[in-house]
Amino acid sequence: MLEGAQSFAQDLLSGLPVLSIMIFLPLIGAILVFLAGRSMSIIRVISLIFSGIPLIFAVLLIFAFSWGAIPDGEAFADPQFYEEYEWIPSLGVSFAVGIDGISLPLLFITPLLTFVSILFSWDVDRRPREYFGLILLMQVGVTGVFVLLDYLVFYIFWEIVLIPMYFLIGIWGGPNKDYASIKFFIYTHVASLVMLLAIMAIYFNAGATTFNMMELGDAASGFTRGFQIIAFGALLFGFGVKMPMVPFHTWLPDAHVEAPTAGSVLLAGLLLKMGGYGLIRVAIPTLPEGASYLAPLMAVIGIVSILYAAVVCLAQKDLKKMVAYSSVSHMGFVMVGFATLSYVGIVAGVFVMFAHGLVTAVLFMTCGVVQHHCGTRMIPKLGGISEKMPKLATYMTAGFLASLGLPGLVMFAAEFMTFWAIFNNWGLWLLVPILSVAITAGYYLWALQRSMFGPLTDKIETENIHDANWYESAPMAILIALIALFGILPAIMIDRIGDAVTIILRAIGGG
Amino acid sequence: MMIDYAWLIPVFPIIGFLIISLVPKKWLIWEGGAPYIIGMSTASFVLSILVIIDVLNGHTLTGPDSPRMTWLSAGSFELTFGIWIDQLTAVMLLVVSLVGTLVVIYSVGYMHGEGETKRRYYAEIALFIGVMFGLVLADNFVEMFIFWELVGLCSYLLIGFWKHKPSAASAAKRAFIVTRVGDIMLLSGLIILLRYVGTLDFSELFAEGSLEGSGMSSGMATLSMILLFGGAIGKSAQFPLHEWLPDAMEGPTTVSALIHAATMVKAGVYLVARSYPMLVQTPDALAFIAIIGGITALIAATNALVAVDIKRVLAYSTISQLGYMMLALGAGGLIITGLMHDGGHDGLGAGYSSGIFHMMNHAFFKALLFLAAGSVIHAVGTNDMLKMGGLGKTMKITSITMLIGSLSIAGIPPFSGFWSKDEVLASTFHAFEDAGSYSTVFLILWIMGVATAFMTAFYMFRMWFMTFTGKQRSDAHAHESPVSMTVPLMILASLAAVSGFAFFIGRGFFSFMSDSISSTIGSSVAVEAIHPLESLGEIFTSPLTYASLIVSAVGLFTAYSIYYKGAFSVSRLASGVTGKLQKLLAERYYISWFYDAFAYNIIYGISLVADIFDRYVIDGAINGMAWLSSKSGAFIRRSQTGQVQNYVAAIVIGGCLLLLFLIVFEWGEW
Repeated sequence: MLEGAQSFAQDLLSGLPVLSIMIFLPLIGAILVFLAGRSMSIIRVISLIFSGIPLIFAVLLIFAFSWGAIPDGEAFADPQFYEEYEWIPSLGVSFAVGIDGISLPLLFITPLLTFVSILFSWDVDRRPREYFGLILLMQVGVTGVFVLLDYLVFYIFWEIVLIPMYFLIGIWGGPNKDYASIKFFIYTHVASLVMLLAIMAIYFNAGATTFNMMELGDAASGFTRGFQIIAFGALLFGFGVKMPMVPFHTWLPDAHVEAPTAGSVLLAGLLLKMGGYGLIRVAIPTLPEGASYLAPLMAVIGIVSILYAAVVCLAQKDLKKMVAYSSVSHMGFVMVGFATLSYVGIVAGVFVMFAHGLVTAVLFMTCGVVQHHCGTRMIPKLGGISEKMPKLATYMTAGFLASLGLPGLVMFAAEFMTFWAIFNNWGLWLLVPILSVAITAGYYLWALQRSMFGPLTDKIETENIHDANWYESAPMAILIALIALFGILPAIMIDRIGDAVTIILRAIGGG
Repeated sequence: MMIDYAWLIPVFPIIGFLIISLVPKKWLIWEGGAPYIIGMSTASFVLSILVIIDVLNGHTLTGPDSPRMTWLSAGSFELTFGIWIDQLTAVMLLVVSLVGTLVVIYSVGYMHGEGETKRRYYAEIALFIGVMFGLVLADNFVEMFIFWELVGLCSYLLIGFWKHKPSAASAAKRAFIVTRVGDIMLLSGLIILLRYVGTLDFSELFAEGSLEGSGMSSGMATLSMILLFGGAIGKSAQFPLHEWLPDAMEGPTTVSALIHAATMVKAGVYLVARSYPMLVQTPDALAFIAIIGGITALIAATNALVAVDIKRVLAYSTISQLGYMMLALGAGGLIITGLMHDGGHDGLGAGYSSGIFHMMNHAFFKALLFLAAGSVIHAVGTNDMLKMGGLGKTMKITSITMLIGSLSIAGIPPFSGFWSKDEVLASTFHAFEDAGSYSTVFLILWIMGVATAFMTAFYMFRMWFMTFTGKQRSDAHAHESPVSMTVPLMILASLAAVSGFAFFIGRGFFSFMSDSISSTIGSSVAVEAIHPLESLGEIFTSPLTYASLIVSAVGLFTAYSIYYKGAFSVSRLASGVTGKLQKLLAERYYISWFYDAFAYNIIYGISLVADIFDRYVIDGAINGMAWLSSKSGAFIRRSQTGQVQNYVAAIVIGGCLLLLFLIVFEWGEW
């Protein structure tokens, strides 16, 4: 039956430039939204359609994706749904796209999270054209980052992502939005520049005439160890800021606290993944010796991020800030997983990114609903809200439980595999990061207890609080259904991730 | 054969859960959808009985060829889902399905007044029962761990069922987090096993010498087993993680009955019993289990002496009895290990079997006691025994059934608790005789066990007399509970009275149970039970039996003379040393206080410091850099003099420096 579904999906997609369509359809949507005039409903419907069609393609891609047979060759051998168009021949720049198992899960959550964010933002009436247009533009950028196979174009799309997010925070943000948006921009931009420098260094050092990732990856085997270490260090900084890793994480809570809900969902769900994706797509396969030299550093950074951010979560009074710090903690798992440079660890790291994308979107949405309906997200002012908002309380409980790694939900398999990989590499050091399992349960359940349960608060006006609206409930319900689906059947994704990791490991000469 | 359909046992209640959660409100028929759940749990019960009959006829489902599906595979490991049924599973199925079904039926009366929230109640109860079935049927540790955590989730949801009550929300959180500390240990232990043995399937882990054969050092093997037991410490409320259980009383009493008798806390005992083929390879871990069990049994019993909340008395008694089970399992395992080296011996499975036996009997009498206590609370509207009294007249069924439960747990023959508790203590004593280097430890543990037996009889009858005899101390108009509540009580009371006879019916419970380890521990150890009638004779000729019988009787009589006759007033103990002791017990040895202080002052304190560090040091450094660059920008601006000769000079100097750098470091060569 599954094979039938696969060939059916492949037939549907055959001959179509699927990935280009997925990149540029939202761009057309964004232009149409800008032109759409003042009608709210037209703007929303256009946005939903133009983020929704790529979502349909993404679902088809999951079915159509081939896996299980490892093609011979080096890293990035045979990316699927490959397209290449010449762009600047003199520099060897072309528009090349293709996916493998590492891109696939992230490519799936990109239109998904954009789609649900647009649905969730149904009632945004402040400059709606710009708002929805920017969200679609961000989808263009992020989709591009996850499928592009040419460094220069990759960098361009990488930078495209920053601009909509800067405006989303700067225009629709909270009271301190100017500080937060500029901090976000400068911080991540500096990181991007360091990344660009490293990419340039790789390009020139390889003596290459192309920016194609696959070809540069092949050339990379000639790099000296010293160069690899320096270049990898630079990339680690560039991507580490993006993920973000302690101590370069402080832009994240500020950005989240000020960002509108859709902005937070996309920031945490997609933009952070760009850092992890870059690490595993660019840094590790291209500079394997640098990676293995700096792997202990990555492990330390990752473990510190896991524990430190979890501990800081415990002290937060703002629900959203707590969720923001929890992202730092979870992205630490990605870093540690990659640092093991082992099959299980890298697969786990990619799966954590996928899982975190689904889960954190729900969490930020619940924070948004609380803010929207209660007028505050401060835990000490809330209390007993579940009485007024039973549906929201259910979604929040489900989201928190998913985030703390409850089996049956998506994060469990990811964390379990990471822990296994840690033990496999570093033995009983496992007992350090595994403590986060208890701390995470602690801050989530404590927050739940103080904000949702107990007697109804008298610190805010509770008379008119009503439960989540349909356009708020539906996105959360969709995501929770997926969290449960991939929690019960994680193999759907994990099987597809595997091949790409095998190829990377072959390139770096590991297991 | 029905055993092939055993996978349906957990499926029924989970379908019930889905029905209740998802269907529109008007389809719930009656009492928040109770009929669906009664139907589904009865279906599970019937199927369980059919499976148990298969097992009694010698059919089991243990081995690599039992049906399974791959859940997750990544490189060097593969995680599967499958079904494992042996004698131990059969006992668990009986306990969970029977107690679960009776609790659901009882709930109809007990939760009648709850209104809208009943729907959530029945959904969560169904899920609770379903995942517990999943846990006992799992054929590998990952599957078991998944259901293990889900059991924890359900108890979190149900303990916090009355979520508007701050104490309930707090107790639920505490239960989840404390058990999660245990789960960390369990998870670590499992990861160690998975790394070395390469699988978590029972069929491979339970092979003889599986741990050493995997290249594990004996220290690592012992560590992994102790970590595994760490999960049971959390789940089965063993010292020092036992304090969540008394607090878990905040949920509806039915939930307490389920948690204490059939689900949650029994999972830890099951885990230890299930891991037996591995544990016997690590004697130190077994001794550790026995010691923790003995300490837990004693400590919890002392706490129960002074509790005035009827449910807390029962909660402490559960902890104490769970300690007994762990003690028996640890002792029995050590005897097996000792004899694995010294050659065959009769009755090897005695410690193991008595632990399971006690667990089964405990399930019946503890469910009975909780449901009876629920009936009392339902009638008088309070948990406080100081406000009860004299209820025996108005609540005949409740008082008689509770009396049966109390006699059973106190170990008075012929009620069920007597048989299993006697065997638990006998196994401990045998460990003293056989366990080599640990024998002194087991003598102390045996004495602690006997002391616990005394206290158990005392506090149970203290509770019974305070509740049902004497003058009525509240003006509540007590009345007997409805039929849906009293019928389950009567069924459980009959079971509590007779389930001990399983000991010598047919070929005897011990012989039956021993099969489940003799098939896995390996043929080199003959695990044979003594003929049931022979062992019956042994029980009544052994001085050990009379010792435990006498202390129980003395405990009972003491309670009778103090709380019924009033021969001695407890208030005279309220001052001086005994007063301090009383306070120490009432404050639960300050363990709970210590955890709260630790969590709030140390952990939360660290987090506050970390938060400040994050804001002022890390972020401060970043903001400082921003400040510095804007200031230095203002400074450097001055160098833009506009005079061309200055610029040329700068270019020349810079170029020279660059050249020098390239010559010295030979960029690109290293």
